[in-house]
Amino acid sequence: MDTTLLLEPFRVPYLTRALIELTILGVLCGTVGAFVALRRLEFVADALTHTVFPGVAIGFALQGADGVFEGALIAAGITACVLTLLTRNRRTSDDAALAIVLTAMFSIGVIVVSRSHSYAADLQTFLFGQILYTSRTQIVETAVVAVLCLAVLAALGRELFLRSFDVEAARAAGHRVGALDLALNLVIALTVVAAVRTIGTALVLALLVVPAAIGRTLGGRLGTIVTIGVGSAVLCGYFGLIISYTASIDHDVALPTGPTVVLTLVAAYLLALVAAGLVRRRGLRASAHAPAAGMPAPSGLPRPTGSPR
Amino acid sequence: MAYDRTPALSRVDGRVPAGQAVALVGPNGGGKSTLIKAVLGLVPVVAGAVTVAGRRPAAARALVGYVPQAADLDPEFPVTARQVVLMGRYRLIGRLRRPGRRDRAAADEALALVGLADRANTRFGALSGGQRQRVLLARALSAQPPILVLDEPFNGVDAVSQEALIDALARAKAAGTAVLVSTHDLAVAQRLCEQTCLVNRRQFAFTRTESALTSELLCACYGGQVLELDAGRLVVTPG
Repeated sequence: MDTTLLLEPFRVPYLTRALIELTILGVLCGTVGAFVALRRLEFVADALTHTVFPGVAIGFALQGADGVFEGALIAAGITACVLTLLTRNRRTSDDAALAIVLTAMFSIGVIVVSRSHSYAADLQTFLFGQILYTSRTQIVETAVVAVLCLAVLAALGRELFLRSFDVEAARAAGHRVGALDLALNLVIALTVVAAVRTIGTALVLALLVVPAAIGRTLGGRLGTIVTIGVGSAVLCGYFGLIISYTASIDHDVALPTGPTVVLTLVAAYLLALVAAGLVRRRGLRASAHAPAAGMPAPSGLPRPTGSPR
Repeated sequence: MAYDRTPALSRVDGRVPAGQAVALVGPNGGGKSTLIKAVLGLVPVVAGAVTVAGRRPAAARALVGYVPQAADLDPEFPVTARQVVLMGRYRLIGRLRRPGRRDRAAADEALALVGLADRANTRFGALSGGQRQRVLLARALSAQPPILVLDEPFNGVDAVSQEALIDALARAKAAGTAVLVSTHDLAVAQRLCEQTCLVNRRQFAFTRTESALTSELLCACYGGQVLELDAGRLVVTPG
């Protein structure tokens, strides 16, 4: 790859705006994603991406492109509250309740969109976003949402950490678990809203889940997970943008930007898995030489069979 | 005390004095955990009163250090032993401040009390079951609460960790802490606890440990024939 290509986003205005937007989203999603992973809320995050969809569709139907953000915001606020209540009810299976809400809301969205004349085009826009059409206003809105969400996480981070690790102890210590859950669900919902126009409802989940998964694969502490998550989200946003641009402009291969960013993230995740595997092998080999100093291998990961070569 | 209006435990009466330990003994599902949750203010009390240091349990949470069962926690969670212990000081630290030198010192001191000073930076999940249980006790101790409540801390714990737990609890008692601990281990109850409360849906005894742990009372409480082995383990056969 030509090195001047790496600077292309800084010369072409619409690429610059896309890059700024992706960078803000990378910081936001990398951080929020770490808390999603701690609480194992991936399915809740998935439900939120689907329930924001009808908000987007209704907003668009009522006010055109300007209504998308407001529609998503309202839908996200409502569903964050509903999901918090649903997941509190211990007698319903959480997953079933979520799946019902998720599919119902998604269907409403599809019905609303199907009434428009440009059905297929609109549906594609909502599902996969339009990174290259990022406007200045959109960047400002995303930045405001990001600052708000990161401020909430900064204030409640420790309590959310305790609640994720040991909910009974959090309750016993007097932390308000219901309020903490609602706060985190609202933060996830707002993150989905911020990302939805850029990367679409179908792909937001990747930004929330994959960077944190990379962080968890490579790091053992929350701080490291957030740092690696943010770093990988921002870098993959950048490289995904350049790859899709180069493929489309120089090689005449139409690579939509959103999915390219997602695939870049997934590739980074696979690399992280390989790297972590190599490190563990080396650790095992070292501990085979000095068994007394050896640490137990992390459980849940397959141990290599036979003796290390 | 009740879940969803079905009383889980009734007619319990007794008190845990400062500087003493009370063992909570009884079969699984007999209400030990419910009683503990009532003391923590997490389940409603239908009739009578549970008071903690003269207050409603929910108003006395700052005075109680709670030690849950380590086995219930996710061993994959990305947290070190010291970070777990620091969680015990979150309420003292407050929302907007970062843990300071005093908090870290208190955490390290608590880890030393349970004999794990050298494992502070080890990931929680990489510790043995007994060591995890000791870290959770250190978390409760780090805030120096006047009352400690422990939910079956000796379950599945190796001998070294059991001694470390008993030692740390004995020291806490000597410093004036009141201890309420549920356990299946009668030998531990005999060594550590001045009093024992036998419960199975209702109270069968709340008295001095040697008077409570008789085969007649144990048999009545467990609803069967009870064999007590040398190690203090309890074997119940339906009779």
